[in-house]
Amino acid sequence: MTFTGIILALDMSGQPDAELARQLQKRDPEAMGKLYDRFGRVAWSVIVAIVRDESIAEDLVQETFLRVWNRIHAFEPGKGALGPWLLAIARNRAIDHLRSVGARMDRNSFELDVREHPSLFVTMDRDVVNTDHARVIRQAVARLNENQQKVIELAYYEGLSQTEMAERLGEPLGTVKTWVRTALKHLRDELGEAAVTA
Amino acid sequence: MNCSEIREEYGAYALGIAEDPERSEIAAHLARNCAECREGVSDAMATAGLIAAAVKFQKPPKHLRERVVGMVDRKKHHSWMWSLLPWGVVAVLSVIILAISIPAERQNRDLEKLDAVLSIVNDPTTKDVTFGEPAKQSKGRIFVSGKGVVFIGASLPKVDPGKTFELWVIPATGKPVPAGTFDTKGDSTAVYLYNGSTAGAAAIAVTIEPDGGSPQPTTTPFIVTKL
Repeated sequence: MTFTGIILALDMSGQPDAELARQLQKRDPEAMGKLYDRFGRVAWSVIVAIVRDESIAEDLVQETFLRVWNRIHAFEPGKGALGPWLLAIARNRAIDHLRSVGARMDRNSFELDVREHPSLFVTMDRDVVNTDHARVIRQAVARLNENQQKVIELAYYEGLSQTEMAERLGEPLGTVKTWVRTALKHLRDELGEAAVTA
Repeated sequence: MNCSEIREEYGAYALGIAEDPERSEIAAHLARNCAECREGVSDAMATAGLIAAAVKFQKPPKHLRERVVGMVDRKKHHSWMWSLLPWGVVAVLSVIILAISIPAERQNRDLEKLDAVLSIVNDPTTKDVTFGEPAKQSKGRIFVSGKGVVFIGASLPKVDPGKTFELWVIPATGKPVPAGTFDTKGDSTAVYLYNGSTAGAAAIAVTIEPDGGSPQPTTTPFIVTKL
């Protein structure tokens, strides 16, 4: 089974994204409530873990859901994965906040962030918030070696560039790049295997 | 660069930590719908996205749901806005109070301005972004619709004589578009309405410029909010 197939096999939510997306596209405020009920907790958890300030996290959660609302027309019902898309937006909002506070706004900050386009979120586990899956994923992260865990933590929760990580860790850039690459490869392989046995 | 030269950076790109030239190259490949890069980045995003599920789950505050839904529910819109923006309310109310105590001609102009402000704030398609944080200088909220921009700022920096604030609409590509100048009311707060096109806007920025404004920014923006 391919990785894509495996993560699609993880989709046990029973609530199709397509239906909720269509409701959002019709500008139905009730759909926003349903979206929040499904993903509000995990979006909050991701943002709080990054910014570590609940009052700021509230604003960023609000911005996250508003961004989904404003961009939902680019989402193709039946193809896209709402949860991963929303969580990527949540994480990006939080990292943007950290970068702006730390004056680390990158030079492409004016560019529309193509990484948030819904078309990139089409082959994903729609049910990443499922408790069993979360446990499997945590175990996979825990099985990374110390260096791999460190770079994933610095990348995901602090948004450090690879150059910044190299400076922080006092390691050559090439070494950091290798750790990032192998960490993601191990996660990809681990989660594929774990998903089959979950 | 061709796809094979940037393939190893798909993961870093998905995590938002890739750097130029690879980042720009991958973005360019995606922009021209390169099938290989699109599939590779999408796959990498799947892996990166799963990391979110490894986070320790926490309960959000109960009122947050109302705030989120209230943004798009006209029936609840005012309640969350008022509760969120005490200083914003003061600013808007000050416009109303001012309107009551000034000559009729100016009163009409200000009421038109207030009407334009509220039509942008109340539009369900309006993008609503915050900037700054409670403990820092320059905080506030920016509302952006197709009709224009409402900027509400507090704790803005003092500007030297002969200088003013200038708002910019930043397109995804191309040069910043000047969107008018404004000053604080002397208490470091400002409410500014820009009635103009925001088509293609990717960000809103504010700089300090010479009186009368500049055709292009001459200083580094002290506020940049991505939309």
